[in-house]
Amino acid sequence: MRRLLLLSVLIYALLILGLASANGLIIASSIPLVVHLTATLFFAPQNLDLQVIRTLSADRISQGIPVTVTVSVTNHGSHLEEVMLEDIVPAGLEVMEGSPCVLSEMSPGQSILLEYTVCGVRGRHAFQDFKVRAGDRSGLFHRQAVLHASADLIVLPHVSWLRRVSIRPLQTHGYAGPVPARLGGSGVDFFGVRAYQSGDPMRWINWRLSARHPHAFFTNEFEQERIADVGLILDARLRSEVRVNGQSLFEHAVHATASLANVFLTDGNRVGLLVYGGFLDWIFPGYGKMQRERILQALARAEPGESMIFDKLDYIPTRFFPARSQIVLVSPLWEEDLPILIRLRARGYQLLVISQDPVSFEAKAIGSDPRASLATRIARLERTLLIRKAHQIGIQIVNWQVDQPFDQAVHATLGRIPLWFRAVGLGQRG
Amino acid sequence: MTRRLWYVSLGCATCALVAGYAIGDLWIWTLPILGLAVLRLLGQPKWVTSLELLLFVGLAAIGLWQGLPFGLMLLGMIAALIAWDIESFHQRMEVAERVDYREALERKYLQRLLIIEGSGALLAVAAVSLTVTFSFGSALLLGLLAVIGLSRTIGFLRRESD
Repeated sequence: MRRLLLLSVLIYALLILGLASANGLIIASSIPLVVHLTATLFFAPQNLDLQVIRTLSADRISQGIPVTVTVSVTNHGSHLEEVMLEDIVPAGLEVMEGSPCVLSEMSPGQSILLEYTVCGVRGRHAFQDFKVRAGDRSGLFHRQAVLHASADLIVLPHVSWLRRVSIRPLQTHGYAGPVPARLGGSGVDFFGVRAYQSGDPMRWINWRLSARHPHAFFTNEFEQERIADVGLILDARLRSEVRVNGQSLFEHAVHATASLANVFLTDGNRVGLLVYGGFLDWIFPGYGKMQRERILQALARAEPGESMIFDKLDYIPTRFFPARSQIVLVSPLWEEDLPILIRLRARGYQLLVISQDPVSFEAKAIGSDPRASLATRIARLERTLLIRKAHQIGIQIVNWQVDQPFDQAVHATLGRIPLWFRAVGLGQRG
Repeated sequence: MTRRLWYVSLGCATCALVAGYAIGDLWIWTLPILGLAVLRLLGQPKWVTSLELLLFVGLAAIGLWQGLPFGLMLLGMIAALIAWDIESFHQRMEVAERVDYREALERKYLQRLLIIEGSGALLAVAAVSLTVTFSFGSALLLGLLAVIGLSRTIGFLRRESD
């Protein structure tokens, strides 16, 4: 537009100067400019009639996996001398290969194919707009249009492999699974002894005990192993988000939640998810691969948010989780959260808290300033005290320093300590 | 190809105007022309392109007012216009990450540009060569008509162009 204005101003100026000075040569000198302007107008683009079709090589991917975006643009209108086609790549996606932008000429009926590869961060990325700018060869006149070609790309959170996470909820389901059910029956671990009943296998008879009671037989009982209800709660409050050097503590929490959901569902448990942040986002408890997909998609769209209502954990909808089930809270944990956790314990829930350590996460960026070191030390003491209090009320806590692999952190805290190790008094957990 | 033609047209515009002013013994006016040409060759920012056209056309008009040779002034003006247009085309090509049929685009662009500017030059020369006598009133009327017609055309173009 500025170029058009400049050309117009020059033509006017020459004409006015020519008229004012009564100099025909000056007026004649404006003719090339007038010819340039009118010829360009003659070739100016007409109305745009383009069809855009966008396809993605995959609509759901894991982080770090590239996706090829193919956009086909067909011209159903008149000839376009110079057309700039630009696909608007959503924020959060990075173009790895190819280009989402092309400058070309388009004859009627001609199609142009744009192909490029993107890679993105966790989340739901919506492709919407496609920008077209057609102009004449001199670039004086142009027409713009924003065409819509929707496509969604979901980048799922990274799921890492975990060894079995041992949980012990008070209530289990009737189906066989890996969770100790606190009930005697067939199983692996010794549970107790009861009077012999006809039909009990001979190899279950406790001969040593039966020898002490000449008129009775006793049978060993083993702890039944069943599946359980597991409720995952992801703390997405803004206060739980810490960003250091472009790294986010919340991303680690999402990764941990995804990995836990995967391991619990693989074990056959019924798993639900609650994202507690700016608003509540939940997935009702369910089993299997479909449930895994639902949970991963919910985690893909999870963002830290702020809300006056959900600023504290007071409003966790407990009716969402079956009574006496296992709750796994993934949160950095704050002092004011403790009373709510006590309340949950009092209601019979077994609580496991995966607490990504914000102090050590932030300490890396603070440096070695003596005052900062002192502040870090105080914060670390406060956190140790908080974790100890939580232990005292019967909450299992995994204090996860996020530079450590998640599986290692979980296994170090919840894994079974070898018998010989316990026998010599080592490996006791505080 | 376009780059080479840009150098040629810039050189042509500079030489034509400098020669015109030198013939008229107005050496002082050649300094801004040469200065701007050097600035452009050093690759100064985008806005200099527009300043260059403005200055070259302005100097050509002043030259005509001063009675300098019409041919040289017209050549300087048209060459500056070509350089200005090519620069814009070149920038559009550079901004695009991918250009399909680049050579064909360049060829067609240059063909059209040369035809348009050639026609413009011919028309201008014809306008000067043909002598038609007008009274002052008729000339004024024609001039006003031209201005009004041009205003309406430009107004229409501005509305049409997004």
